[in-house]
Amino acid sequence: MNRLIYLFRRLLMSIPVVWLGVTATFLIIRVGPLNPAAAIVGPVNSAQAQERLDRIEEQLGLNDPIHIQYGEYLVDLVTFDLGQSWVLYPGQDTVALLAQFGPRTIWLGLWAVLIPIFIGIPLGIYAGLNVNTNRDYLASITGIVWRAMPNFWLAVILLALLSRTDALFFGSGWESFIIKTDLIGAPDLSALGTPEGFIIATKQILPAAFVLGSASMGNELRLSRTAVLEIINEDFIDTARAVGVSRWRLIGKHVLRNALIPLIPVVTSEAYLLVGGSVLVEVVFGINGIGTLFFDAMTSGDLPLAGSLMFVFILLTVSINIAQDLLYTLIDPRIGYAERR
Amino acid sequence: MTDTSSPSDANVTVRTRLDRIPTSATRAWLAGAVLLILPEVGALIQFAASALPLGETAVAAADRIPVLLSRERIPNQGTLVPGEGWQGTFLGLSPARAWGLRVGLIYLYGALCLYWIWRGYLLYRNRYRTASWTPFDDVVSRFRGHRWGQFGLLVVLAFLILAVFAPALGPTTLEQNAIDPYSYELDYYDDDTGDIETITVGAANTDTTSQGIEGRNVGPLTYDQYDRFHPFGTLPSGQDLFTQVALGARVSLFIGLLAITISGVVATSLALISAYYGGLVDLAIVLVSDATQSLPQLLVVILLSVVLSQTWLAGLYSGGVLLALIFALTGWPSLWRAVRGPALQVSERTWVDAADSYGLAPKTTMRRHILPYIVGYLMVYASMSLGGIIIGVSGLSFLGLGISSPTPEWGRLVDVGQPLLTTMSWHIAVLPGTLIVIVVTGFNALGDGVRDAIDAETDLSSEEETSAAASGAGG
Repeated sequence: MNRLIYLFRRLLMSIPVVWLGVTATFLIIRVGPLNPAAAIVGPVNSAQAQERLDRIEEQLGLNDPIHIQYGEYLVDLVTFDLGQSWVLYPGQDTVALLAQFGPRTIWLGLWAVLIPIFIGIPLGIYAGLNVNTNRDYLASITGIVWRAMPNFWLAVILLALLSRTDALFFGSGWESFIIKTDLIGAPDLSALGTPEGFIIATKQILPAAFVLGSASMGNELRLSRTAVLEIINEDFIDTARAVGVSRWRLIGKHVLRNALIPLIPVVTSEAYLLVGGSVLVEVVFGINGIGTLFFDAMTSGDLPLAGSLMFVFILLTVSINIAQDLLYTLIDPRIGYAERR
Repeated sequence: MTDTSSPSDANVTVRTRLDRIPTSATRAWLAGAVLLILPEVGALIQFAASALPLGETAVAAADRIPVLLSRERIPNQGTLVPGEGWQGTFLGLSPARAWGLRVGLIYLYGALCLYWIWRGYLLYRNRYRTASWTPFDDVVSRFRGHRWGQFGLLVVLAFLILAVFAPALGPTTLEQNAIDPYSYELDYYDDDTGDIETITVGAANTDTTSQGIEGRNVGPLTYDQYDRFHPFGTLPSGQDLFTQVALGARVSLFIGLLAITISGVVATSLALISAYYGGLVDLAIVLVSDATQSLPQLLVVILLSVVLSQTWLAGLYSGGVLLALIFALTGWPSLWRAVRGPALQVSERTWVDAADSYGLAPKTTMRRHILPYIVGYLMVYASMSLGGIIIGVSGLSFLGLGISSPTPEWGRLVDVGQPLLTTMSWHIAVLPGTLIVIVVTGFNALGDGVRDAIDAETDLSSEEETSAAASGAGG
C-alpha cells in the first residue's frame, strides 16, 4: 500500500515539473525572437508569401493575446492534440509521425541499453575481481577513454572502420557478414517477427547502438568495478570463503547479487541520457528516427512540430525518472518512501 | 573578527604584521614575475586593444609593441633555395624546426609561468598566511600523491596553454589561412623557372588541398609544394589544419569556462539557499531543476541555438557567447544536485546553528560557514561537466549548428573530414577528434583527482552522479 502512495506522490510531484518544462518550451517557441509562422514560410518576398504567412499565423493562433495562446497550448497538450507538421511533412499529424518514426528510435535505444549491460558490466566485474592487475588497468582505462569519446566522433570512426573490414568477419566484411545489410540507413522493422527479419534489423542497428551506448558502457564498467570492490571486502564474503564456498559460487551468489543492486537504477538513468544523444547518432547513421525528425524539424523551421516533440521528450524523461525511483524502492526497501528528491 | 588577524594578537593591524615579514623572498618573487610578464606584455596589450572598443589607432599602436614569443620573432615560413638553404626562417632553420622551436619555447614559457604562480602560493603559505595549517594543505598534499589526477592536470594545463597562445602556435594565422588568404603573398622557389616566385596564399592553398587522392593530399608533418610546413596536414580547402585546431581550442575553452562559471555560480547560490532555508524554498528549487532536466539538454541546446540564431547574441564570438549561455542555462541542475547534498549535510552542523544564534546575517552564514565546505565538490563536478560541455559544443558544430565560420571549431573540422576518413586524408577527422578525447579524459581525470584529494575517507557523493556529470550533453 505504501508503495502505491509513494507512486501517487511521485506522480503528483511530476505534474509541476512537466508544466514548467512545457512552459519553458512555449516561451522559447512562441515568445522567442523567431516567429514560428515566419520560420515556416521563409523569406517573405511576394504577396503570395505574405498571404500564406497571414494564413498560418491565423491557423496557429499567433494573433491572439499571449495568455490565450498559452491556454490553448496547454489544453492541446493535455488532450494530446499535438498538431501537425508544417514544413517537413506538410499536413501530417504529429502523432502519426511519432508512430512512424518512433519504433526505430525505440529499437535503437533498446540495443543501446542492452549492449552496455552485456559488455560494460561483465568487464567491470572482471576488473573488480582482478583489482590492481594489468588486466584491471587495461579495462579501467578503456572505460575512461570510452566515456570521454564524443558520440559523433566515435560514430564517424566506427563507420569508417566497418566499411574497410573486408578481411575481417571471416573474410566477408561487415556488410555481408551473416546477412547482407547496408552500413548506413534505417533498420526495417516490419519483419521483426521472422528470424531473418530480426537478424537484419538487429545487425543494422548494432553499430549505432554501440555508439549511443558507449558513454553508458564506460560508466557501467567503472561502477560495477567499484561495486564489486566494495562487496568483496565485506565480512560475509570472508565468512563464506572460510566456510569453503567455491570460488565461482562465491562470485555468482554472494558478490554479483549484491554488486548488481546499485547498478540497476544506473541503467535506467542511462536510458535518460540516450534520449538526447540519439539525435547525433541517428543523423550520422542515417536512421530516420525521432532524433532525426527533431533535428530536421529544427533546421527546416518546423517549430510547431519540434515543440510537440519536445513535449513527448519531457513526458519520456519524467516517466523514466519515476520508474527509476520506483525501482529503487523495489530493489532496496531500506531506501523507503521518505523524501527521495 | 576578520580573517586576517588571529585572536592572540588581535590588536596588531594588518599593516604592522605585514611589516614584520622579511621581504627579500617576496621581492625576488615579484622581480621574477615581472621578468616573466615582460616578454609577453605586448601580446597582452594587443589582446586588450583588439578586445576593447578602442579604435583602429590603438590597435595599430599596440601591434607595434614587440613580443618575444611570436611568429614575427621566430618565423617558420621561408623559401628553400637550392644551394643556399632556407631563407626567411628563424636562423635559417627548416620551417618544421623553427615551428617546433616556437612551440617548445611557448610551452616552456607557459610551464615557467605556472611554476612561478605555484611558487607564489608557497611563499604566501609560508610567510603571509596567519594559520600554519588549513585543510586545503592536506588536499594539496593528497593531490601530490595522485598520479592519475596529476596526469589530468597536465593535460588540462597543456590544453590551456594551447588555447591561450593559439595565435602564436599555429604555423600561420587565421587571417592568412582562412579569412582573407588572397591578401597575403608568399615566396617560393620554382624549379621550372629556377627563380623565386610570388603567389597569393589563397592561390597556393588551392594547390595544397587534402582530398584523399594521390597528389591531392598533404598529410601530417609534411611540407607542401610551397615549402609550407603542416604539422597536422591540410584541410580539403588547402588550409592548415593545426592553425584551425589551435584556435578551435580557444573557442572550446572559452565556451566551457564561461558556461561552467555561470552555472557554477547559479548552482552554488541555489544550493546554499536550499540547504540553509530548506522546506518550501528547497522544494521549489527541486521542481525548477527537475523541470530543466526533464528537457533533454542537447535538444534544448539545438532548439535555443536555432531560435536565437538571428539575434545580436548569436553574433558575439561567432555564437560562442550564446552557446556558453545556453549550456549554462541547461547545465546548472546537475551541478546544483552535486553540491546540494554536501551543503545540506553542512547546514545541519552545530556551527551553522551557532552562527545563526550569534546573529550573523543568513548571507554571511552561508558564505562563511557553508560555502567553504562545498567549493571542493563544485570543483570536482565543474571539471567533469567541462568535458561534457566541450563534447556538446563540438557535437553541435558537427551538426552545423554551433560555432559559425570562420571561427574554427573541432567538431566542424571532424564534419569536414568525415567523407575523407577512409582515404589517405584521414587526418582531418581523426586528429581533432583525438584531441577532444584526450582533453575530455584530462578533465575527467582532474575531477577524479580533486575528488580523491578533497576527502580520502568519506564518499559524500556517489559516483553515480559524477558519471552523469561527465557524460554531459551526451554529444
